[in-house]
Amino acid sequence: MIINHPLLGPRDAAEFVYLGDASLIERPDWQASDAAEAFHEYGYLRDNPAGKHAELWYHEQGDRSWLVVTRDTTTHEITSVEMARDVARAKGRSK
Amino acid sequence: MPEYSLTPAAPLAGTDITIVDTRLVAPADLAVVSVALPLGAEKAAEKAIKTAFGVALPEVGKSSLAKDGARIVRLGSDLAFVIFTHPTPDAERVVAARLKGAAYTTDQTDVWAALDLSGPNARRALERICPIDLHPDAFAVGDSARTMMEHLGTLIIRTGDDAYRLMSGSSSAGSFLHAIETSLSNIA
Amino acid sequence: MSQINRISGGQIDRAQEVKFTFNGKWMRGHPGDTLASALLANGQRLVGRSFKYHRPRGIFTAGSEEPNALVELRNGAHQEPNTRATVTELFDGLHAKSQNHRGSLEHDMMAVTDFMSPFLSAGFYYKTFMWPRAFWEKLYEPIIRKSAGLGRLSMQEDPDVYDKGYLHCDLLVIGAGPTGLMAALTAGRAGARVILADEDFTLGGRLNSETLEVGGMAGADWAKEALVELAAMDNVRLMARTTVYGAYDHGVYGALERCTDHLASSDGKPRQILWRVTSKRAVLSAGATERPIAFGNNDRPGVMLAGSVRSYANRYGVTPGQQVAVFTNNDDGWRTAADLVAKGVHVPAIIDVRDAAAVCDVPGARHIRNAGVVDTVGRKGLKSVTLTDGQVIPVDCLAVSGGWNPNVHLTCHQRGRPTWRDDISAFVPGRDLPPGMAVAGAANGAMTLAAALAEGQSVANAQIEALGYKPGKADLPRAEDEPCDCVPYWHVRESTKRGWLDLQNDVTVKDVKQSHREGFRSVEHLKRYTTLGMATDQGKTANIPALAIMAECTGKTIPETGTTIFRPPYTPVPIGALGGRSRGRDFRPYRLTPSHVWAKENGATFVEVGNWLRAQWFARPGETGWRDSVDREVLATRKSVGICDVTTLGKIDVQGKDAAAFLNKVYANGFAKLAVGRVRYGLMLREDGIAYDDGTTARMSENHFVMTTTTANAVLVFRRLEFARQCLWPDMDVHLISTTDGWAQFAVAGPNARNLLRKVVDEAHDLSNEAFPFMACGEVTVCNGTPARLFRISFSGELAYEVAVPARYGNAMMDVLMQAGQEFDATPYGTEALGVMRIEKGHAAGNELNGQTTAHNLGMGKMVSQTKECIGNVLTQRPEMLREDAVKLVGFRPVDRERGLIAGSHFITKGDAASMDNDQGWMSSVAYSPSLEHSVGLGFIKNGDTRMGEIVRAVSPVHGTEMEVEIVSAHFIDPAGDRLRA
Repeated sequence: MIINHPLLGPRDAAEFVYLGDASLIERPDWQASDAAEAFHEYGYLRDNPAGKHAELWYHEQGDRSWLVVTRDTTTHEITSVEMARDVARAKGRSK
Repeated sequence: MPEYSLTPAAPLAGTDITIVDTRLVAPADLAVVSVALPLGAEKAAEKAIKTAFGVALPEVGKSSLAKDGARIVRLGSDLAFVIFTHPTPDAERVVAARLKGAAYTTDQTDVWAALDLSGPNARRALERICPIDLHPDAFAVGDSARTMMEHLGTLIIRTGDDAYRLMSGSSSAGSFLHAIETSLSNIA
Repeated sequence: MSQINRISGGQIDRAQEVKFTFNGKWMRGHPGDTLASALLANGQRLVGRSFKYHRPRGIFTAGSEEPNALVELRNGAHQEPNTRATVTELFDGLHAKSQNHRGSLEHDMMAVTDFMSPFLSAGFYYKTFMWPRAFWEKLYEPIIRKSAGLGRLSMQEDPDVYDKGYLHCDLLVIGAGPTGLMAALTAGRAGARVILADEDFTLGGRLNSETLEVGGMAGADWAKEALVELAAMDNVRLMARTTVYGAYDHGVYGALERCTDHLASSDGKPRQILWRVTSKRAVLSAGATERPIAFGNNDRPGVMLAGSVRSYANRYGVTPGQQVAVFTNNDDGWRTAADLVAKGVHVPAIIDVRDAAAVCDVPGARHIRNAGVVDTVGRKGLKSVTLTDGQVIPVDCLAVSGGWNPNVHLTCHQRGRPTWRDDISAFVPGRDLPPGMAVAGAANGAMTLAAALAEGQSVANAQIEALGYKPGKADLPRAEDEPCDCVPYWHVRESTKRGWLDLQNDVTVKDVKQSHREGFRSVEHLKRYTTLGMATDQGKTANIPALAIMAECTGKTIPETGTTIFRPPYTPVPIGALGGRSRGRDFRPYRLTPSHVWAKENGATFVEVGNWLRAQWFARPGETGWRDSVDREVLATRKSVGICDVTTLGKIDVQGKDAAAFLNKVYANGFAKLAVGRVRYGLMLREDGIAYDDGTTARMSENHFVMTTTTANAVLVFRRLEFARQCLWPDMDVHLISTTDGWAQFAVAGPNARNLLRKVVDEAHDLSNEAFPFMACGEVTVCNGTPARLFRISFSGELAYEVAVPARYGNAMMDVLMQAGQEFDATPYGTEALGVMRIEKGHAAGNELNGQTTAHNLGMGKMVSQTKECIGNVLTQRPEMLREDAVKLVGFRPVDRERGLIAGSHFITKGDAASMDNDQGWMSSVAYSPSLEHSVGLGFIKNGDTRMGEIVRAVSPVHGTEMEVEIVSAHFIDPAGDRLRA
């Protein structure tokens, strides 16, 4: 596979490490009253779609950036690649 | 005073091989210092780099050559390397002093082992181990990429028409040299 | 043997002669021959035995689809089985042997299986060897293994070298026949970066095998001119002998280049190269493969595909026989007859299944309409054919054409399905092609030369236009639309004898019909039950006729019956090529510690730790085993001072205004308030509360920390930290960079550690216990000004430091430490002594942080802060994680001090049966403690911390051992920690 890195252009997937569902960015609030359930869901429950899937890839043999790659799991078609840091900020994550 | 002194021995020091008109040399006294741009103060850091080296911080994947011969390689959005000739083990201090605290610096000199590959068959040899497209139209002089060659993380910089600088981890320098030598002898 | 079948013409170099052997017999050929064409030229018709029935077989095709002519090439360690004679380039001194027979090729003792064939039909193995079950491993399998199989391996290490490589292009053109040449010319002239690859050693495809003209000249000459033009273009790379074997995601193709297979010796250069081609676009111009018609005894040597017979005559100047009949269901078969007659070969008859007029005039040949071949005679070489009307025609070669199948294989590698075209009775590429691929020419069902050239141009233009190149308008060379009418006709129904479909796996028409009768309705089941198409040729000539017969049986159409899935590789790829350079010592890279040279000179035995080579121990003269060395190293360290290279521990430079806050989130224990100049032990958890990694982190300045990780997790921890920094807390000003390779780091441990370092560290630095206490850190200089870092940390439990110098000084530093340490009998120690001392001290390591244990289990539960946000602390609070009877890390010693503990033993309470129900925990690490002179162990046992002094049993069913052990503190040495604070 080829991943079109937002900064570096097309790079071979062999340079990357796969993590999984991009929902791992949305780490729950540790002080929330339902933190235990929320972390359970965060840690263990994932959607497993046949189709478009936003997932985390790490450019380990490259610029060390984490990317959110939207890939169709049935065809491997990649429709978007974003810097995970931008995605995290857009989701309201900060410090 | 301690009665002892330490003699440096860089892993590839003295390497100078020529195979099929292509030369592989370990550059002497190469210093590498990483420069990280502080979050929210990137502009100030970029300005400090411009002031210190006389050239702008290049785009990611590019490098620029300062008048004094230092090469600044942009590895990522917030990370660059300054690569220059400097024999003593205080390269980080030298760069930090020039940047006056505008960026975070770490000495990377001993983390890396460098090899300069030059000659008409350089690109053909690299074809065997480098996943990056090195065609002149795709990888211009000054371009750089961090990638993987023979399982080893490698920084490749095109330093001339038929010249590349390759940098990989110093602990695995022997395997890295072997990989490039094998590539050269395989195309010979 | 002389070249009795050599005829005029062809692209062979008659001026030169090449000598080779077949089964030890010397023969001659010419450069430009394949082994197959040279064998045919020499009149060698019988070349092998079939897989199952050991039937005599000859050369069937002239290409990579060959099912029959598999031979062993070369001798000794270079011997390679199952190579196709039809694609083996002849070279001087080539040695080839036939395979799959016991005794000689002519008198194969295993041929008796053919007479047992009524019992060996489809599913024979499944039905026969199922029971009694116990017979399988001891009896059936060895017998089947011995009688089955094709060629033999040399059983020696492959002496050849292989390589891999990466190629990039705008347009990859797969197949260099007329279509591919036209596509490459079109794209190359427009300036696109083109790779033109073909499996053949001479590019041009069928142009080299036909007498058709292109642009007013012989097709083969046009191809040569095109290749000259292409070779002159900088932007075009021609790759002969290169098979594009697989289409992978996003325009990546696998290709195998055979560099030296056509040479007598590789001369140390790579024999084959496995290329990974990254293309923006691709044109598949792989042509078509002819298919046979099934009839009785159609597998005799001398029965061949008609297009292949034509190849031998036109390209190689060889006729496979002196009397050649043609049996066809299409117009193309007629060209074989015409071309042979033009070369002076006698063609007694053209047997056409159709009731149609002659396609062309073939002097001397009878046109027998509306007829078929029902049987043949000639066990080791065809003698005659018998037709449906009973007439017998004496021939020594029968050229059979059942039509042509477009080579759709690569279009299906990403699950695309081909579609059926009635007009050519063949599957053509479907619509769901691999992204970026377009198909042109015969591979796309354009079955005439003119159509192929036109498609090559138009498809290439469309592909490069999409990449922004201006399409060319060059004239298309003139070529004809030769007749290619074809009717569906798959097997001669009137045949009562066995008609072969899959020649390599010996599957007959009868087998297909039988499997249908037995209920195998799906084509995928048919394949697996009969093994149709599962041989090394993957059924290239067999699959479609078999499908057609399957369709006949079921009353469905062929498209309704469907095809099996084509998967890579298109043709076999040697394991050696897939392995490339990664073999033996080059299997993976090695990392050497900075003091490697010193260690090697001083008798170290090395151990692989990940990619690292670390000194395991340093043997001295007189020591009889590793334990002697390790015991000495431990005792010497605890008595005076020992030195160990600990560079392999991961080191991460952490900087930024938020560095402290960041570490506070990634470690379970507090880091926000760590003072500058101090080191702290840190425990990292996974989000689920399981212990992940540990190490020490030093605060060098307000915004600068140096973290250490375990050797094994260095890369993984870095990855996690980047995840935390970019994805979880993206607005933190924190920067990470690895410095593992940059610093040579040495543990200097033992009561004399300070005294030794005092001689090496420059005087300006105060090393006194007051100025530099336990868990202090700082930047110092050593040996007159070399910058260094000093950490007062201890893994051994002794007064200890770790001193780090830039890696280039590492080897010298080890030498200096040893020189300076002479007066203290300083001892280098390796990873074994390191391990012994950490067990004696009760420090957890990889065996304890094994992905199953929590901080609670490790006795570090109190370290997990609940007053800050950090990875792992929320799920740590789950009741199951904190249960009172959880296993706890404690120490163990054998009640009988003479006995050695065994790691992996499970603990059972005295009096209980040794069963899983009574499992109390496990022993994770053991060592012989030279300090205590008995075996010591660390392990996890339920409520361990409250059971000190209890005797339990340590049971290891794996070793068949059981012993009584006492639960003790894990801190066997200096439990109060006085030594390390001294």
